[in-house]
Amino acid sequence: MSVDASDLLAKSAPGRSSWTAALISWEGLLLAVLIAIIAVNANLSDAYLTVTNQINLFQLSIEKIIVALIMTLIIINGEIDLSVASMMGLAACAFGWLFQAGFPTVAAIPVVLLVGAAGGYLNAFFITRMGLPSLVVTLATLIGFRGLARVLVEDRGITDFPAWFDNLGQQGLVGPLPLAMIIFVVLLAFFIVVLHFSGFGRQVFVIGNNKDVAAYSGVDVARVKAILFTASGLISALAGLLYAARVGAVRGDVALGFELDIITIVLLGGISIFGGRGSLYGALLSILIVLNLRNGMALVNVTGHIQTGVVGILLIVSVLAPNMRESLGAAWSNWRGRRGSR
Amino acid sequence: MSKIITSAIAALMAAGLAAPAAAESVMAEKGQSVDLTLLPKFLGILVFDQANEGAQEAHAELENPGELLFVGPTPENSVAGQIEIMTTSTTQGKDVVMLSNNAGDQIVPSATAAQAAGTKVVTWDSPIPSGDGESVFVAQVDFGSIGVVMADMAHSLLGGSGQMAVLSATPDAANQNAWIAAMEDALKGSKYADIELVDIVYGDDQSEVSYNRALALVDQYPDLGVIMAPTTVGIQAAAKAMQDEGLCDQVAVSGLGLPSEMVSYTLNGCAPEFALWDFRDLGYLTYYTSYLLATGAIKGEIGETFDAGRMGEYTIEKDPTRDSGLRVLMGPFTVYNKDNVEAAAN
Repeated sequence: MSVDASDLLAKSAPGRSSWTAALISWEGLLLAVLIAIIAVNANLSDAYLTVTNQINLFQLSIEKIIVALIMTLIIINGEIDLSVASMMGLAACAFGWLFQAGFPTVAAIPVVLLVGAAGGYLNAFFITRMGLPSLVVTLATLIGFRGLARVLVEDRGITDFPAWFDNLGQQGLVGPLPLAMIIFVVLLAFFIVVLHFSGFGRQVFVIGNNKDVAAYSGVDVARVKAILFTASGLISALAGLLYAARVGAVRGDVALGFELDIITIVLLGGISIFGGRGSLYGALLSILIVLNLRNGMALVNVTGHIQTGVVGILLIVSVLAPNMRESLGAAWSNWRGRRGSR
Repeated sequence: MSKIITSAIAALMAAGLAAPAAAESVMAEKGQSVDLTLLPKFLGILVFDQANEGAQEAHAELENPGELLFVGPTPENSVAGQIEIMTTSTTQGKDVVMLSNNAGDQIVPSATAAQAAGTKVVTWDSPIPSGDGESVFVAQVDFGSIGVVMADMAHSLLGGSGQMAVLSATPDAANQNAWIAAMEDALKGSKYADIELVDIVYGDDQSEVSYNRALALVDQYPDLGVIMAPTTVGIQAAAKAMQDEGLCDQVAVSGLGLPSEMVSYTLNGCAPEFALWDFRDLGYLTYYTSYLLATGAIKGEIGETFDAGRMGEYTIEKDPTRDSGLRVLMGPFTVYNKDNVEAAAN
């Protein structure tokens, strides 16, 4: 009986009209959820659709969603980078430390970005040259980078950065759009092209599907991974700088724990933790869902614990759903098959 | 002399209200609509719930038809969460956010944006270090005086002479380090000449670590008479350790603790004396300050005096503990012992 059902499902799949296929895809489901959230939010709060709130909604999490873009590529590649938030903290603290030491602010920025790239390359070195799992390597650097950040600024806050630096983080650069949002949009477009429309992107997917097969077919696995992890370090450092500018101060605990939010967003976007499957479109929809959901809950005064709980439930559902979808789909065609034969 | 002053005051009063700075205490006018958000460092901590109770009490007392919200982030997301709630409250058009700041100066841009949009920011428990974006800070106690309070408790528990050790939170906890430094300062006084501070250890504000550190102290210093723990986690763990090992006759535990958590140890003699400020009062006073600011009854300027319901009169002053910023000082510690701990524990 169950053999019949899956058989039917397989046969019926190509014959489905395109809109049902789109709807049944993960991205289609996310889009429906997003529209529902936006509709509910707009109904519940007058302030929700104002330009200020819409910009705040992005700004409050902007550093996380910038890092989520490169994290998407890394997870599709079958790896993980747990050290991103610690690198954000290290970058922000290194910037604060250089600033306090009297280093010119303009020169501190490229230095900090270099630190980020170097930290990312360090991860890549251990993963590709030593053959260690990224989970272990980046767990170690999660602790290491954070430790270094705390050593740099100890238990003080560093503040009073130049006004132009703070303004970049806090004010609109193009109309009401702040620099960080523009960077997000540019990086999003860039990574969509890289991942979905380039040879490099295909290599990312192939490696994520099966590293050994990729290596046998001549893909330079180590090179792809080195590029991804170095980029991850660099972008995390950039995000750390953007955070420092947005809040106008740094402390050793900057971005503490952000890695979990970032990975949650990516997984919710339908990107498989086992690698090889997923898209930046899913990641983008997931970003919009999480941000709008949190904003909506905040506007109706839902407190932090419940917000975290709701996002947690979403994640569990998103991990279970692909399996549930298959069995539900099978049950559906099974039911239709029986009805048709009656 | 006093006649001159009296006539001077009379002259001022005769001149009408030309000098509003004269200590005229501002009374709150009941029934005005003010929307407030009480924003603690994070949720799930008893003292913040108590502050909320105090604020709710004042809210009811002033018959405010507006809304008093108690929202906070989760502990692991405290900094980003506080910034988010500050921003959201501004978007919602709240009149006041009452903040126990855990974000250091990282809260400044969102607090400044709040002020610019007409949302006042009143801090309590923990201020904005730079004072930027903050209307006024409602301070629980003068942090310098905590050193004297702890030295005095040690003095009375040791009967004037003996060994004490400190069980603190973490080595880099700014509050605790300042308090311990203040206590070391106080101990230099001749009254405390026979009290020896033998060690300072850290329990990381975790019960189990603090428990073990307390026992290690007793092993290491056989003549130890007092363990002073300037943290609510540490004092409770140390008292439990002494109780479990039957050491309460030798070593007394003291420091900063919550009556509800300490009541059994105070009554059985393991922690005969400890101190804290009342967070209900802090919430109540913060609410009054915020309500008066939001209704325009006070402007948030040095020298303004106002009436805070059951707690009496308070004056806004320059905060001596920061380079800039204003302060309302709530006032002295409450020292708890077997006579008053039960009443406070409820």
